[in-house]
Amino acid sequence: MIRKLLIANRGEIAVRIIRACRELGIETVAVYSEADAGSLHSELADEAVCIGPGPSADSYLNMERIMSAAMITGADAIHPGYGFLSENARFAEFCERCSMTFVGPPSQVIADLGNKQAARNTMVAAGVPVIPGTDHPVREVEEGLALAADIGYPIIVKAVLGGGGKGMRTAFSEEEFEKAFLTAQKEAQAAFGDDNMYLEHFVEHPRHIEFQILADNEGNVIHLGERDCSVQRKHQKMIEESPSPAVSRELREKMGETAVRAAKAAHYVSAGTIEFLLEGDGRFYFMEMNTRIQVEHPVTEWVTDVDLIKEQIRIAAGMPLSIRQEDVQIKGHAIECRINAENPQKNFRPSPGRISTLHLPGGQGIRVDTGIYSGYQIPPYYDSMLAKLIVHGEDRPRAIAKMLSAMGEVIIGGVDTNVDYQFAILSDADYQAGKVNVDFLKDHEIGGVKIEE
Amino acid sequence: MKSNHLFKKTAKYIPLGERAESVPEVPEGLLRRCNACKAAVFVEEVVAGSYICPRCGNYFRVPAYARLAQIADEGSFEEWDAELAGSNPLRYKGYGEKVRELRERTGLREAVVTGRAQIGGIPAVLGVMDGRFLMASMGECVGEKITRAIERATEERLPVILFTCSGGARMQEGIISLMQMAKTAAAVRKHSEAGLLYITVLTDPTTGGVTASFAMLGDIILAEPGALIGFAGPRVIEQTIRQKLPKDFQRAEFLLEHGFLDAIVERERMRECLAKLLKLHCSGGEIFDRNLSMAQKNTGQDSRREGMIYGDSSVSVHAWEHVQLARDKRRPVGHDYIERLFPDFVEFHGDRYLRDDPAVIGGIATFGGVPVTVIAQEKGEGTKGCIARNFGMVSPDGYRKSMRLVRQAEKFKRPVIFLVDTPGAFCGMEAEEQGQGEAIARNISDLFGVRVPVLSIVIGEGGSGGALAFAVADQVWMLEHAVYSILSPEGFASILWKDGSRAREAAALMKLTARDLYRMGIVERVVQEEGTFPKREGFSRETMDGVLAQLAKGIEEFMIQYGNLDEEELLAQRYQRFRKF
Repeated sequence: MIRKLLIANRGEIAVRIIRACRELGIETVAVYSEADAGSLHSELADEAVCIGPGPSADSYLNMERIMSAAMITGADAIHPGYGFLSENARFAEFCERCSMTFVGPPSQVIADLGNKQAARNTMVAAGVPVIPGTDHPVREVEEGLALAADIGYPIIVKAVLGGGGKGMRTAFSEEEFEKAFLTAQKEAQAAFGDDNMYLEHFVEHPRHIEFQILADNEGNVIHLGERDCSVQRKHQKMIEESPSPAVSRELREKMGETAVRAAKAAHYVSAGTIEFLLEGDGRFYFMEMNTRIQVEHPVTEWVTDVDLIKEQIRIAAGMPLSIRQEDVQIKGHAIECRINAENPQKNFRPSPGRISTLHLPGGQGIRVDTGIYSGYQIPPYYDSMLAKLIVHGEDRPRAIAKMLSAMGEVIIGGVDTNVDYQFAILSDADYQAGKVNVDFLKDHEIGGVKIEE
Repeated sequence: MKSNHLFKKTAKYIPLGERAESVPEVPEGLLRRCNACKAAVFVEEVVAGSYICPRCGNYFRVPAYARLAQIADEGSFEEWDAELAGSNPLRYKGYGEKVRELRERTGLREAVVTGRAQIGGIPAVLGVMDGRFLMASMGECVGEKITRAIERATEERLPVILFTCSGGARMQEGIISLMQMAKTAAAVRKHSEAGLLYITVLTDPTTGGVTASFAMLGDIILAEPGALIGFAGPRVIEQTIRQKLPKDFQRAEFLLEHGFLDAIVERERMRECLAKLLKLHCSGGEIFDRNLSMAQKNTGQDSRREGMIYGDSSVSVHAWEHVQLARDKRRPVGHDYIERLFPDFVEFHGDRYLRDDPAVIGGIATFGGVPVTVIAQEKGEGTKGCIARNFGMVSPDGYRKSMRLVRQAEKFKRPVIFLVDTPGAFCGMEAEEQGQGEAIARNISDLFGVRVPVLSIVIGEGGSGGALAFAVADQVWMLEHAVYSILSPEGFASILWKDGSRAREAAALMKLTARDLYRMGIVERVVQEEGTFPKREGFSRETMDGVLAQLAKGIEEFMIQYGNLDEEELLAQRYQRFRKF
């Protein structure tokens, strides 16, 4: 049973969770650092407890203090949000041992999925496709050639002891293999004193496609379609949308079914995300499973009409899923842009400071999730995301048009933001045509800025 | 926004889901508060680790058996006198009950656990005190267990390692407790006279009668970082002298600086460190004999003849150039030789009286499998390093540290290798107050009685008596461009001609170059430097391989030549070596 929930997070996600609780009639406890005194989440919650100084290690990552706050206030559940302690198996275990409901999967599941090799093995056993590769070190070029044919080109040759790009070469065909292998091996020998290599299928210009999963305690697992998060800068997502322009109904069914199988194999409970890499030819590979609610969850909420946070809390309270797979319908198109306090012209340098003026858009099909307000002081300790702007339209072109319209209304004074940069991405012809992969920002000059590797 | 709670609270509370069976609470014993940073920490994490606070790195006190598990090879510990118990000599009321209650609570019989164990495969007697038992105060039983363990170690010829932790004497046992100090100290003495190794590891807190007896008597005294170590406890001192004590007073770091510790060792490295020390003392004499007799097969080289070759090949340059080269900032200094010639070197600090002199680096290492004691005068590197090392100008406590390490070498039958590089003994008020002259005299005199081979190598400047205190040896060698003299050329000129600027002229007269000194029989060997001429800047850390190779070969020959010499013969030769001048 959940009567009072403590939100072990800050910023927009804490506000988002508090709002869900208010709607559900659950009492809320916010925790905040000294740097976050007066922040929106601490004001909006029914109670708020200061848990220490600004640096995360002393506050939002300090599990003992967070647990103390929960005990003092009589909370019976903790929602970790994303980041901070959300995927910390030890914190989940700590909650379990204190009979505190953790809004997320069991600690053992977090630990198992956090171990990359073990997770990969679980997925292989469940028949979930992973990036094919060798399972033993290779030293002879002939053996490598034979293995490469089985794996499928293009092939990336990597040093077993590798790192930092050394001893790494790509071969796009059999003809290129020998040279790539020997060059990489020579580099590996020189750099690491070891010539053991392994081969892996090189996934070229993939899209980042992830599937939202909901799983309850009774073994019901459903997926809520995909999110395309291919617009990334150095693995930081910038724009997410659902559905993906690259995923057909058939592919969605196939990938969705695979995602559900993956979640079941991991004995998953709660809201979670299966990340895939999708190749141009429609092949896809399991990357990892995120055991938390994600930043980009609103796009899924909008196209499926499911409140993921409420569903997550209901599952934590021991209740079954309120929807079945066949009830899930993807309607229209949703896009989310992350608005960050950073300067794209200066290598995306974070820009903490005080927000002097603020105007945020609104209206039909427009949603803003944020913790900022006029006069808000951005603390230097945390990530630079200020707000998420999410729009919903009946199809992708109309959603893009709506996002451009809404983005054009955003005024944030006093700090540098990436609003103009995001506006430029949305205006790009390739983006508008849906021709996007994870290298998009490296291959396109956006507003005079090109992202280096 | 200072909304001051303008938002309306959640409108209506509706519990979600079924009533839970248990109310959230932190189970007993899951968390404890760190006494240093006040953070709550997971007990399991602390116990599974090294009893160190994961938040602030503070050391918690380690229960005896947990310490044994950290230090001894797995399954190797065999406890001795486990059932031994003390009496109540003063018939102190309530003492018996207190002890019974503690036994129940801690699972210990008394405040110390002793026995035999292996560390890194080497057998040793190991004793660990446990502060949970009446602050590990020393009563009859603690003293008896320690004494018995040391006595048995003497019989079985085993090294002893004691982890100390104690509030001091056990008040409840009165004068009997005081006698334990004498009893344990006597046992340590007998163990030491048998030529055996005794290491103490002082942990927080080590005070009172334990400090003033067996704790401070180790051949090697180690401590954990931050441990409180002292005779009178800080509270007693403050009450007696009515003065607030500084924060680091009586901490391990304070003791190290004041010369009473050989080293501070972090808990995670303690086992490795002890294993290494045991290995370096592994029946030192025997290894010494065996290795040398093995090496002896290769003898037959005439080192004197080679010395001549080195001497003759020296290019003729003005003596003043030698002085400048010997003082060159790029020239390798003591630690450069130690690192390269003795890679397993372990440094020991302190004179055990007053201070640890940073101008002297001393410790033990192996050379070709043979344990040796190495003591270097250290000039330091870079401006900060040179200042920290006082430019190699040794203070009385440096000479006393050196002599302490020489005596230790003698006890464990290790040859001694001195590296000389000093402009002269430190000339300052403190040095005189602490008896600079006495310290040098004592070194010179005592070195004539040391019953192990002593080799001295002048690597840079050999400045006067400050150098001689490190150069009373069976052989003295010099690097090609090192200098060794009665005092600096500047000083010489100033005394004789009242004009310090005539140093160049003085240098030419003084016979301070290696070649001159070789001809005069002051040194036995001259080690040729590479690349010094014609390029003046040649000899440096980068180009010292050739010198190192010559030194390595020479040291091996020296050890073969002197290693198996009869002790009386060795001392007689050393006497004659200096008698001839």
